[in-house]
Amino acid sequence: MSDTPPTPEPTQSPVEPLYTHPASPFLRTESGFPSSVAPPGPPSRPLQSTWITYRNQIEMALAMLAYLIFLVGSVTVLQANPDAPWRYAVAVLPVAPAAIVVLLFVRRLARLDELQRRIQTQAFGFSLGTTALLTFAYGFLEGVGLPHLNWTFVLPLMAILWAVGAAIFTIRYR
Amino acid sequence: MKNRLRVLRAELDWSQADLAERLGVSRQTVNAIETGKYDPSLPLAFSLARTFNRSIEEIFEAEGSRSRVTT
Repeated sequence: MSDTPPTPEPTQSPVEPLYTHPASPFLRTESGFPSSVAPPGPPSRPLQSTWITYRNQIEMALAMLAYLIFLVGSVTVLQANPDAPWRYAVAVLPVAPAAIVVLLFVRRLARLDELQRRIQTQAFGFSLGTTALLTFAYGFLEGVGLPHLNWTFVLPLMAILWAVGAAIFTIRYR
Repeated sequence: MKNRLRVLRAELDWSQADLAERLGVSRQTVNAIETGKYDPSLPLAFSLARTFNRSIEEIFEAEGSRSRVTT
């Protein structure tokens, strides 16, 4: 007889994976279920750079910044040269970065999912309707003596009401 | 429309964000479908069915459908 315990026959003992030993340095990395039955686990979310996560917001912010820079620059140049023959070209220059803002906005809309699109459609409808009501109402009031307002106020008003509408309809689907 | 989305999701231990990522929609959309505030489009319903490996009828149930549908 020998002191060493008898080693079991390879055919009798089940194959023990390395990670089942308590002192094993190996980590179990695969699911215990057979792969055909096991449900796929939650998708892993790798760390993403700020650029990937906030790309849309960064692009939009840069375009708006460009618009502001062009606007201030254009106004400054025009005040210094009120009678220059090229004043028309300089005056419409801020439209270029504004067009980029519009382009980014349209692209953003195209990438929304179906519920977000519905919310945006409702928000635009709300914005259009309430702007129409408010501008008509003020138009009637102007007729009886209230001061005349510049029509460029209409777009900011519409944007604010769109944001209000988006908030209302987002909460409704929460 | 009633649905079993929350139960099916819990069975797989997925968060709303996990499911949203698989479907390619926002987490808000998954939540709105789960709470019955929004009925998904047919393509999204099919994606859901494929994701959970079930038929659409096993996930969604139209209100009053049992009394109306007689086959």
